[in-house]
Amino acid sequence: MKAIYGLYSDPDSAQHAVESLRRAGVADDSISVLASQPYEEYEFSHRYKQTWLFWIAAGGGALGLWLGLGLAYLTETRWPLVTGGMPIFAWWPNIIIMFELTMLGAIIATVVSLLVMTELPTIRCKVYDPEVSQGKILVAVENPADGEISTLERTLKGSGITEVRRVT
Amino acid sequence: MDLATERKINEDLLRPLRQTSVWFFLLIAGLGIIVLAGVGSWMYQIWNGLAVAGIRWPVFWAFYITNFVFWIGISHAGTLISAILRLVNATWRRPVTRCAEVITVFALMIGAMFPIIHLGRPWLFFWLIPYPSERQIWPNLRSPLAWDFFAISTYLTGSTLFLLLPLIPDFALLRDQMRGWRKRIYAVLALGWQGTTKQWHRLEAAMQIMAIAIVPVAVSVHTIVSFDFSMSSVPMWHSTVFGPYFVAGAIFSGIAALILAMAVLRKALHLEEYLHPVHFQNLGKLLLMMSLLWGYFTFAERLTTWYGNNSAEMAVFWETQTGAYSPLFWTMVFCNFVIPFPLLAIRRLRTITGTVIASSLIVVGMWLERFLIIVPSLATKHLPYAWGAYRPQPVEIMITVATFAAMVLLYALFAKAVPIISIWELKVGGHAQPVLTPEEQEEQRELWKARP
Amino acid sequence: MAVDLDRCTGCEACVTACRTENNIRIAGPEQSARGRAIAWIRVERYYEGDFPDVRVKFRPVMCQQCDAAPCEPVCPTYASHHTDEGLNAQVYNRCIGTRYCANACPYSVRFFNFGNPVWDRPLELPLNPDVSVREVGVVEKCTFCVQRINAGKEQAKAENRELQDGEIKPACVQSCPASALVFGDLNDAESEVSRLSRSSRGTKLLEDLGTLPKVTYLQRQF
Repeated sequence: MKAIYGLYSDPDSAQHAVESLRRAGVADDSISVLASQPYEEYEFSHRYKQTWLFWIAAGGGALGLWLGLGLAYLTETRWPLVTGGMPIFAWWPNIIIMFELTMLGAIIATVVSLLVMTELPTIRCKVYDPEVSQGKILVAVENPADGEISTLERTLKGSGITEVRRVT
Repeated sequence: MDLATERKINEDLLRPLRQTSVWFFLLIAGLGIIVLAGVGSWMYQIWNGLAVAGIRWPVFWAFYITNFVFWIGISHAGTLISAILRLVNATWRRPVTRCAEVITVFALMIGAMFPIIHLGRPWLFFWLIPYPSERQIWPNLRSPLAWDFFAISTYLTGSTLFLLLPLIPDFALLRDQMRGWRKRIYAVLALGWQGTTKQWHRLEAAMQIMAIAIVPVAVSVHTIVSFDFSMSSVPMWHSTVFGPYFVAGAIFSGIAALILAMAVLRKALHLEEYLHPVHFQNLGKLLLMMSLLWGYFTFAERLTTWYGNNSAEMAVFWETQTGAYSPLFWTMVFCNFVIPFPLLAIRRLRTITGTVIASSLIVVGMWLERFLIIVPSLATKHLPYAWGAYRPQPVEIMITVATFAAMVLLYALFAKAVPIISIWELKVGGHAQPVLTPEEQEEQRELWKARP
Repeated sequence: MAVDLDRCTGCEACVTACRTENNIRIAGPEQSARGRAIAWIRVERYYEGDFPDVRVKFRPVMCQQCDAAPCEPVCPTYASHHTDEGLNAQVYNRCIGTRYCANACPYSVRFFNFGNPVWDRPLELPLNPDVSVREVGVVEKCTFCVQRINAGKEQAKAENRELQDGEIKPACVQSCPASALVFGDLNDAESEVSRLSRSSRGTKLLEDLGTLPKVTYLQRQF
C-alpha cells in the first residue's frame, strides 16, 4: 500500500495538520491518525466514537444465559438422579450456572468483537512508524493519487513538523 | 506531555526488561528449587495416596482447602483496583492497575490448582467439566463444587483477558523499542497494533465493558467458594453471612497482597518516581476500611453464634475461643485488626513502611482465618464420638510454601518480560507524578516560598 | 432399620461382621491412631456419671440412608445419589474423592480410602466376591449390604414369589446375638421394622437437622 505521512511532536500540530488536509480536499476516510495514547480531548480523536460493542456484549451475555439454561436443563433431565430430596430441575442452583455463563458470554463476545473490529491480528500491510511509541503523532493519507503527492507533502509540512515520509 | 518526559517514562519502565542483575537469577533459582520441591511433594502424595497428608476422619479438608480459599481471596486485588477504581474514575489507580491484575491472574491459577491437589483421585479431575462423556453422565450442577468450576473458569478467563487487553499497546511499544529475538516475540503479541483512533476507542470501550462485567464475577466467585461451606450443616459453617463475609475477607487480603507487591517492586525496580507514598496511603485507607468491615463481620458472626447457644455450634465456638485453636484465633485477631488498626488509622503511621507491616500481618491473619473456619468446625461436628484433632504433615506444609514461592516466581518473571506499570495508561494520566500528599504539597509550598 | 438400644450390649459383633462382609480395608494401629480406620458401623460408647455410679450407653451408628441426605446434592459427580428403593447409593467408580459428602454428613458415617487396601496373606482369601474392593481415593460407607438385598430380590424373583419380611439380613443384623438390629421394608406397614419405627420408644438421630434418617433408635427403658 502507499501512504504519505507526517510525524508531529504535539497534538496541537497534529490537529492543525488534519484540518489543513481537510481544507486541501482530502476525504476524512483517507486520513489516519496514529498515536501512543488516546488523546480524547482533541477533535481528531472524535471519529469512530460510536460503537456497537455494548450491544454485542449484551448479546453475548444473552447467548450465555441461554446456554447455561440449556446445559442445566438438558443435563439434569437426561439422567434424573435424585439427590438430597431436591427436585430434579431446581432454579436456585441453576441460576448460579446461568449467571456465570452469562458473564462468560459477555466477556468473550466483547474480546472477539474487539479483535474483529480493530482488525487485529493484522495480516495486510499497514502504515506505521516506530517513532509513534516515542511520543510522536503520525498523520497519514493512505493511497494518495500520484499527482497529489507533492500537494499533500506541502500541506503536511506546513504545520511545523519534523519530517514527512512516504511508504510505497 | 512533552517528548522528553515520554522518552523518560519509556526508559524508566523498560529498564527492568533490559537490565538484569545477578540477584534476579539467584532469586529465580532459589524460588525454582522451592517450587520443584513442592511439585515433588505432590507427586509423592499422588503415588502414596492422601495417607501422607494430615487429613483424617472427620477432618477431611484442611491445608489444601485453606490454601484454595486463601489464593482465590488474594485474587480479588486486581478486580478491586483495576475494575472498580476504573469505573469510579479514580486517576491515582493508573500506575497500580497492572500490578494488581497480575496478582489476580497468578493467584487464580495457583488457587485453581488446589481443588486438583486435594482430590482423592486427582487424575479424574476432568469429570467436573461438562462434556458429553462415554459414561453418559454429566456433573451434578447442584453441587457447590460444580459451581466452583464454572465460577473460577469464568473469572480466570475474564481476568486474563482483562490483563491482556491493555497490554496490547504496551506490546506495540516493546515491539518498537526492543531488538533481536525479543522484538519478534513482542511483534507477534502486539497483533499489529498501530494506535489508530478507531483502535483506541474500541479498546477503551472493551475495557469499560470488561470492568463492568468482572466486578459481579469476582463477587460471585468468592461467594460460591463460601457456598462450599455454607451449603452443609456442619456447625458454624451453615451461616447465611458466609457470602459477604468471604468477599469482604477476599478484598481485604487482596489489597494487603497488592501493597506488599508494590512495595517490593518499588524497591527492586527503582520505581520511586512512579509509585508514590500517596498510592500506599490511599490503599492503606482502603485496607483500614476492609479491616473494620472484617472485624464487623467476625463480631456479628460470633455474637449470633454465642447468643443462639446451639450446642453443636457452641462446641466449635469454645474450641476457637478458649480451646485447642485459641492461640491461632487470637493471633488472627491481632494480625487482622488490633495491630493494623492504629497503623492504618493514624496518618503519621500510614507510611509505606506502616502499610507494609500491616499488610504482612494481614496476609498471615487471613490465612489463619481460612484455616480456623475450616478445621475446628470439622474437628467438632455433631456427634462427640466423631471428634478428632488435625496435625499438618510435611507434604502439606511443603506444598503450601511452594505455592507462595510460585507466586513470587511468576510475578518476578512477568515483571522481567512485561513493564509492570501500564505505560500508556500512565501517560494518559497526563503526568508522571500523580497528585501529591498533603505533606508533599506543604513541602512544595515551603520550598516555593523560600525561593527569592 | 431399627436399633433397639435396650438390647444392645456393645459387643461389636456387628462391626466385625460388617468388616468381613464388605471387604473393609485394615488400617493398622499406626494409621488408626491417625484417624484412618474405617468402620461402616461403629458402636459409640458414652460414659455418664462418676465412679461408682457410672452408666455406659452403647449406640451403633451406621449410614442412616437419609431421605433428605445432605451428602447427596454436594457430590459433583453424582457418586452419592438416592435410589428408587430409598437407599443412599455410593458409586465408587464415579467418586473422585473430593470428600465433600464426608464433611456434609452430620453422622460422620462416610469414610475415605487414604491408601490402597493391603491384606497380608492369607487374609485376602476370605474377601467377599460380591463386594468390590475400593481403591485409594474413594469414599465409602454402609450400603445396608446392598449385595444381599439384590441377591435376596433375585432369589425371590427366580422362585416366582414375594420377598418375606426378615428374609434379607445385612451382615450386622444377621450377626447381632441380642437381635438388637432389625432390617426390613419400611413401605410394608406390616413388617417388623415398620412396627418398631412407630413405637413410642422410637427416636431418630439428629432429627432436628432435617435429614429424614431412616434408622429408628428405640430408647432404653431405664
